[in-house]
Amino acid sequence: MSSSAVKIVGLTKAFAANRVLRGIDLVLNSGEITVLMGANGAGKSTLVKVICGVHAPDSGSIELYGEAFSPATPSAAIRAGVVTVHQSINDGVVPDLDIASNLMLDRLAEPGSSFFINKRKIRAEARKVAADMALNFDVTQLVSELTLAERQLVAIARAMARRPKLLILDEPTSSLSATEAERLFELLDRLRDSGVAILYISHRMSDIRRIADRIVAMRDGEIAGMFEDKPLNYESAVDAMLGQTMSDFDLDFKSPGAPMLKLDQICLRKTSAPISIDFYGDEVVAITGLVGSGKSELADVLFGLSKPASGKMTLLDKEYRPGSSETAINAGVFLCPKDRASNAVIQGFDITENITLPFLTRYSSLSFLSSKNERNVALNTIDKLDIVCQSAKDGIGTLSGGNQQKVMVGRWLSQESKVLVLDEPFQGVDIKARRDIGQKIRDTAKGRVTIVMASEMDEVLEIADRIIVMGEHTIKGEHKNSDIDINLVLAQVAGLGAADELSVSN
Amino acid sequence: MQSETNKGAQDAGTNKPDNGSKLTDFAIRYGFLALLLGMVLFFSLAAEGFAGPYSAVFIFQSVAITGILALGVTATLVVDGFDLSIGSIATSALMLSAYVMVVWEMNAFFAVAACLVMGAFVGFINGILIVKMRVPDLLATLGMMFLLIGLQRIPTEGRSIATGMRLPGGEVANGKFPPEFLALGRHRLDFFIDNLIPLSVVFLVVIAVLVWVFLELTRHGRLMYAIGSNERAASLAGTNVNRYKIIAYMISGVLASVGGILLSARLGRGDIASGNNLLLDAVAAALIGFAVLGAAKPNAFGTAIGALFVGILLQGMTMMNAPYYTQDFVKGAVLVVALVFTFALSGRRGGGHT
Amino acid sequence: MKLTRRLFMSLAGGFAALTTGFVAPSFAAEMPAPFDDPGKVKIALVRYISTGDFFQAYLSGVEAQAKAIGVDLRIFDSRQDAALQADMVDQAIALGVQGIIVQHGLTESMQEAVQRALDAGIKVVAFDVNVKNPKVPQVEQSDRDLARLALEQAIKDNGESFKAGYVYVPGIAPLDRRDETWLKFKAKYSGIVEKAVFGTLDNPIANSVANQARSVLQANPDITVMFAPYDEFAKGVKIAVDEAGLTSQIKIYSADVSTADISAMRESGSAWAATAATNPAVVGEVSVRTLAMLLAGEDPGHNVIIPPTLITQKMLNDADIKNMEDLSAKLPQFAHAAVSVPAWMPLPPR
Repeated sequence: MSSSAVKIVGLTKAFAANRVLRGIDLVLNSGEITVLMGANGAGKSTLVKVICGVHAPDSGSIELYGEAFSPATPSAAIRAGVVTVHQSINDGVVPDLDIASNLMLDRLAEPGSSFFINKRKIRAEARKVAADMALNFDVTQLVSELTLAERQLVAIARAMARRPKLLILDEPTSSLSATEAERLFELLDRLRDSGVAILYISHRMSDIRRIADRIVAMRDGEIAGMFEDKPLNYESAVDAMLGQTMSDFDLDFKSPGAPMLKLDQICLRKTSAPISIDFYGDEVVAITGLVGSGKSELADVLFGLSKPASGKMTLLDKEYRPGSSETAINAGVFLCPKDRASNAVIQGFDITENITLPFLTRYSSLSFLSSKNERNVALNTIDKLDIVCQSAKDGIGTLSGGNQQKVMVGRWLSQESKVLVLDEPFQGVDIKARRDIGQKIRDTAKGRVTIVMASEMDEVLEIADRIIVMGEHTIKGEHKNSDIDINLVLAQVAGLGAADELSVSN
Repeated sequence: MQSETNKGAQDAGTNKPDNGSKLTDFAIRYGFLALLLGMVLFFSLAAEGFAGPYSAVFIFQSVAITGILALGVTATLVVDGFDLSIGSIATSALMLSAYVMVVWEMNAFFAVAACLVMGAFVGFINGILIVKMRVPDLLATLGMMFLLIGLQRIPTEGRSIATGMRLPGGEVANGKFPPEFLALGRHRLDFFIDNLIPLSVVFLVVIAVLVWVFLELTRHGRLMYAIGSNERAASLAGTNVNRYKIIAYMISGVLASVGGILLSARLGRGDIASGNNLLLDAVAAALIGFAVLGAAKPNAFGTAIGALFVGILLQGMTMMNAPYYTQDFVKGAVLVVALVFTFALSGRRGGGHT
Repeated sequence: MKLTRRLFMSLAGGFAALTTGFVAPSFAAEMPAPFDDPGKVKIALVRYISTGDFFQAYLSGVEAQAKAIGVDLRIFDSRQDAALQADMVDQAIALGVQGIIVQHGLTESMQEAVQRALDAGIKVVAFDVNVKNPKVPQVEQSDRDLARLALEQAIKDNGESFKAGYVYVPGIAPLDRRDETWLKFKAKYSGIVEKAVFGTLDNPIANSVANQARSVLQANPDITVMFAPYDEFAKGVKIAVDEAGLTSQIKIYSADVSTADISAMRESGSAWAATAATNPAVVGEVSVRTLAMLLAGEDPGHNVIIPPTLITQKMLNDADIKNMEDLSAKLPQFAHAAVSVPAWMPLPPR
């Protein structure tokens, strides 16, 4: 029923010393949905970027329907028939334009298209594109008025208007609800039936069960497993994706010290169930859950960025009610925020200045900074976290992503805290940096409460003494890592009662 | 990998530092200072009387007022803001000081105090508009600029203020600019040569040093730079972003009013003027300052050098009888070259500041 | 004879104002139509520019003369928007005015607007803008005479040969006219050496000119006369001269005057020796009187030129003149110009 659409042979790609792709051989067939699974940092995104022309491979070749395919730019890839819908929905649509203009955007941007815009003509063509995909939109509606899922459908419809041979979807459901996702899947079913080859990147088990024709698992830049025999063996695929990392990594579980931080009937939202929990010194607690489960809101409340709807917090037997990040830091509660590029890194600063930023009062007298104190702290952090750099005066922008993340974590480890909250500390770092950072967090955990927010299950299992699952802005489950039923955790994450329902969130 | 998703990805393959670029590096760091030196040499040879202590002092004096305003602009640029109202704050201070002394017949102390309070207050309002009302900085200070240009003319119905003027009410204003106020703009200190250095130059130097120390050596300056580079990250690191932004606009307002006081003392009367040229010259000096020592960011030392650069250029050209429009042209050309230095050449150094 | 009559009339006007507080009616009976019922006569002042001391004073002159005659004056101010100014002429037409004074503006934009007003049967007088229409009298202060008076005084004070600095920005009509006179003087007196020409209109003008003037004085220490035919220029030059400590060696000659200028000229040992000026209030009065003559069917002539007055430091000191009001009161030739004064014309009170 299917013929080979894309053939990838021996593909490798390295960024400096970091070998991200270590020889990928992969065939994608037309009329088939291939799911690409892989942990964060396995190399999925890089593989996609090589195929869609963002990166050039170091070696290896790609064939598209028997012809050599080496796009120099993303637009060359699109012209050749390889279209990608990226994870961030808003990259695919222009919110301030109506649906018709969005669907026809590529046509409008083409050189040689007419200077003036014929609205009626555009709308007619847009309606046709929408109808082809059985989408019944009012094409005059503004995209900014649509839900996330509808925007995602528009982005895909826009991609389809280019008549692709290969459609790549990078975690398209990461911000969609179950019913919204189902709309997307129906559309994908139709596209598959029309003969398009689809590469679908996800590690959400529910998605994979719903649409996968075959599963390719990636780990550490290599294909770790290929599953094509029906029925698909999902458990083996997950094992292949996670690999033997767990057995390689022995956690030295700590017994919790004295209770330090108590949450008493904290309601993150007016309508959500209250959270009551104690955090103990010395222990590392991982909080996991889907996007929108309330992890970030909890971090905000702990760090004084927002106030809980009700309830109270007690820190070392005193009521803790932070009004701002400033008061939280002064009380000894630190937050290493997620998404370092927009929330943490000061691009204009060097490594030292980035590390010392929150604690300048402690490195200055009468407001005058002591560069000696700063340098000592910075060198200490660089040494402890194995940050690869020329000197402590290097601009932060010269570091790799993993090293930047080490600097950001090092920033908050550079002074003693009572509570250290790390929101997605392993976001966008490779496995080695992840191990380094995790080890350092655990090594320094004595005497403080350490809370790690993470949605990747393998990250959670690597770092935590205790695991808390959040959903619907409250606690859904609590587990000791030393004695854990992963299936139960995954079920709680997915918000399902049934223990056999696997679902690893993004 | 995810780590490369943001900015790195698009240019990862194409835009890696070229290694044999020591010369470019040198040009970026010292190019502007070399240009400055070359210009001084050129004018010393070409314009008779250019080289000498008087000429040097004249140059400093001619840039004192715009230089002080430029240091204020620098403070707002550091927090990634912009203050379009400084020119009109300066002329408001000019009118206010004249009004206090000539119409209310009060002494120099009150005139100076009133101006400084006015500058701080206007800066505070600018800050509130920007951080609390969420009005974009350019728009808030543009509005303030128009407001002040109009406001400063209301009490005198658009007339200049001078001793003996007739007020709208019909009575004659008899107050005078007291000599101690005029001295702020006119008194000269002995420095090897009698009566060499005007007080306004001393003000410029002192203020430049203070602003430099504040921005470079104190934690407040560091935090302001952090806000300018990544406001959200600075906030999550415990910085009170709103407070520092308001402080930046207050610094700008106070320095602009200091400029206005010196202008008033120099002119000896309250001349109506929009102050737009003061604004443009000050902004130009601050932007030229980006290029000095390859800083690629607002900085007090660069701003002072930038102001001096323009001053030397104008002094030399005037001494060589160049007409005023060629001076505007040259000012513009210098600014463009400085911006090229900053953004095209040193952009690759990852300043990241926009 | 003329002078006596004018003096008498102004005295009479002032007397009338003092006694009755009401000027116009006392003359109404003597005035020709349409001023036999002046309250019904509407005139408009359409301004291009209004900010600054000169324009303030001009307006006060227009208002004073309009009140003296008793006409209904409407003021339109386009704030240097040439297109708006032309529209305002149309607004005035729609308002049903009988006469319009156009104050400044651009020939290109006002020529047609003025023609439309004339077509509507409205009388028009133009001040300091050439609308290129023989039916429109042009009220002008004589820039050439201003420059001539100041330069004649310079030659009287300094002899026929001196080294001079000259402040000039080309392209500004009144400055260009003053420049013509300067060129004539240079040609006539070969002893006058122009060492430097400079100038700028950067705001604040006095401050910017001061910076330039200082550089010029530094480069040309032998300059003894500065010709700065615009008072903002002169203020700047004076600041530079004072700062350079050359107050006793340099004399400044300028044009225009204001209260601030008077105090600057009267500072002890001031370098500002003399200025030539036309009283802007008088210009305003003449503009209204010229329009009134047109409305009464009389011919004011095509070029209505207001002669300037020479004001020297000595005159100011001798008469102890402190401000513009003193100047008008104590220098009668400055307070009034015998231009467009038919016998029936009521004058503003002094």
